[in-house]
Amino acid sequence: MSNEEKNLHELAGRIYDLDEEVYRELGSSLGRVFNGKKEDCIEETFRMMHERNQAYILRNELALISNMARTIQDRAARHRIMVKYDEILKEVTELPTSFIKGDILDQKMAKLNMLNLQSRFSKNDHLIICIGRTYGCGGSEIGFTLADTLKINYYDVEIFDEVLKRLEAEKDYVHDKGGYPYKEGEDHQSRYLSTVPAFAPAPKSTIKEKLREFSRYHGLPKKDAIFFNQSDLICDMAKKEDFVVMGRCADAILTNNRIPHISIFITAPLEQRVRRIMEVRGYENEKEAKRLLTKLDKDHVKYYKFYTGRNWGKARNYDLCINSASYGIQGSVDLIMRMLKKDGDGKEGSEENGKK
Amino acid sequence: MKKCMMFLGSLTAAVLCSPSTALAAEGAKAASTPIPLWLCIPFAGLLFCIAVLPLIKPEWWESHQPLAVAFWSCLFILPFGFFYGPGRAVETVLECLINDYLTFIVLLFGLFCVSGNITMEGDLAGSPRVNIILLTIGTLLSSWIGTTGASMLLIRPVIKMNAWRRNRSHIMVFFIFLVSNIGGCLTPIGDPPLLMGFSRGVPFFWSLHLFPIMLFNMVLILFIFYRVDMKRYRRDMARGRKPDISRPGTKIRIRGLHNLIFIAMIVAAVILSGMLPDMPLFKTPEGHVRGIHIFGEVALGFPALIEIVIILAAAYLSFKTTSPEIRKKNHFTWGAIKEVGILFIGIFITMQPALAILKGMGSQLGITEPFQMFWVTGVLSSFLDNTPTYLVFLTTAGAIGFTEGLVTSLGQVPVKVLTAISCGAVFMGANTYIGNAPNFMVKSIADENGIHMPSFFGYMGWSLAVLVPVFLLDTVLFFR
Repeated sequence: MSNEEKNLHELAGRIYDLDEEVYRELGSSLGRVFNGKKEDCIEETFRMMHERNQAYILRNELALISNMARTIQDRAARHRIMVKYDEILKEVTELPTSFIKGDILDQKMAKLNMLNLQSRFSKNDHLIICIGRTYGCGGSEIGFTLADTLKINYYDVEIFDEVLKRLEAEKDYVHDKGGYPYKEGEDHQSRYLSTVPAFAPAPKSTIKEKLREFSRYHGLPKKDAIFFNQSDLICDMAKKEDFVVMGRCADAILTNNRIPHISIFITAPLEQRVRRIMEVRGYENEKEAKRLLTKLDKDHVKYYKFYTGRNWGKARNYDLCINSASYGIQGSVDLIMRMLKKDGDGKEGSEENGKK
Repeated sequence: MKKCMMFLGSLTAAVLCSPSTALAAEGAKAASTPIPLWLCIPFAGLLFCIAVLPLIKPEWWESHQPLAVAFWSCLFILPFGFFYGPGRAVETVLECLINDYLTFIVLLFGLFCVSGNITMEGDLAGSPRVNIILLTIGTLLSSWIGTTGASMLLIRPVIKMNAWRRNRSHIMVFFIFLVSNIGGCLTPIGDPPLLMGFSRGVPFFWSLHLFPIMLFNMVLILFIFYRVDMKRYRRDMARGRKPDISRPGTKIRIRGLHNLIFIAMIVAAVILSGMLPDMPLFKTPEGHVRGIHIFGEVALGFPALIEIVIILAAAYLSFKTTSPEIRKKNHFTWGAIKEVGILFIGIFITMQPALAILKGMGSQLGITEPFQMFWVTGVLSSFLDNTPTYLVFLTTAGAIGFTEGLVTSLGQVPVKVLTAISCGAVFMGANTYIGNAPNFMVKSIADENGIHMPSFFGYMGWSLAVLVPVFLLDTVLFFR
């Protein structure tokens, strides 16, 4: 990080602290400018200062803080805060218009990408691999084998189950919309290849049930409440252990929370996927299998777009995209392993992290 | 800046290019007194300041609002005094301050104080669905506790629930559309113009006939809101924003609920102010309302005095009986009411020439059709006080000589025409920040609580994009 960037980070931190101080003096959470986590807010403010076209938003944010500060009853406290505000405003006004040079590197993405992070990826960070995959491409098996090879945990439906526990919700009433089909009660990896439709509509509920749900999920739609809880859970887990996580928009969630990870997308040509699900799942009708895959892809695009604003499967959103038809399941695992081991630091980091 | 200059230029041109004078009709005495149109320039100037200065000189504007108001007010009062004599100038200013502004600001103050003493704590998360429910409740409540009452009561819970979101100014804009304006059309309690109609012989529950129109507008606007809110809600989620829903189940706690009694007291005071002037006890033998003489023909009527006393008592009792902790939780400050109080003194004073001209010209405008009544009443209500505007067109309609319709003290008015005037005055108050008092209050409270509200023109952009098409549909369906 350059000196200029360090200074901007420090300034962003002071802006956050100022808002916090105003809020503390007022004793009301109503009207707080920065509502999110401290580090997220600081990072966002830093970006605003760093990017020329966002600077006006920062000035607006500062104006809001000063509006709030002016309503502080205690004259001495108000004066103290306004002095700090004036100092910060002066510094913000004097900022150079832009720090951006002509590099294609997206600082934000690069920072999260372990392959680029020899110096930034600290020993405290865990190895997290997020895998998005189309149905029938063998993505689940690749993820599972990869986790097994790296000796780290593998999460798919477990996250969903944990969220249900957190929400105190009954499984019968909620369908897993974050990942792919699964079947309970089978111990080996094939349990992730069941016949339960992933995006099946929830069963119809009565008004009484709807009211109960309204209260249980804080007025949010059930699927949104589950997504928010999944987000929290994934972030909590990322602080504790290394793992491979399948789907659930984990890549976008971790990016938003500035948690280093590797994002991989696995797919295969439709014909190959159709052939595979006909073999593995015993589909006899090719047309039906094709329709199922097309529908699942569409649903997944919709789901991913809804919660992340990104396009599912677009190469630009991932660190690595694999056509599993070209490598096979073990070949894809080997490819990812080679990618992890290719870089000396990366290899060391991965293995060390894997043993934690 | 270019836009601002164009706005000022077009306003000035409109004023200067119009016929240089118009007939004022401030009572029979002044019926033939010409009021020059250029006397409306201070009003346009003040609107220009409200619209532009917060954008170009925000800090100066914040600390110098009283100065700007005084400047434009003097710019009207001094020439007016010069042409019509100091006596008439003083009388005109006192008339609008005592009879219009005082009751207006006291009502706003009372509701602001009482609603600031009610706080809602809980972890209901602001989502399109929750916001739709809140806006629907607010819209339906507006007719029964007034648009100002409903706005003040619900604005803080709406801000609180949506605190986790970054994109939320549009929620406040739609809140102003529905809760602060359109919802108030069903009873005379809802919006002051209807109270004026009630005191002119329109039955109290007649406005309930407007329910299908209100429902149509509400459903349409809520649909648009849902689409906009969903888009922005998704944008917030995509940016990683999330509400705190770590605890299973929602717990909502409302503190200071006893203040609902004081809100009821204020509503009762408003109804009384509409009913008392017709009672013999409050009338002189000449048919005037009894009151305290102030200056010239200006008097503070006893019904208005009673209303003021009841409202101030409600505000006082509310403060006395509620813990300061609740106000602290609500981030209760005097900033919003102070801003509205100051700006509206200027607006009330400087709009007098425009109102006088309108009163004089109302009958000469040749407006007879419901759709004409709807649009002219509406457009003028967007910038002027909607109560006198409503009255001008109700008087105009009553004087046309319709042979069928509702019998009022101003003459017979066809139901469709009365419906158009009522809807125009109530609905189109939402077109600008200054169209209705709660609009500006909501804006000020939101500004004070961490929400970037749109500028004057930004807000008008919203109303042009959302409300005007809805009103056009209203015209086709209800006022043809």
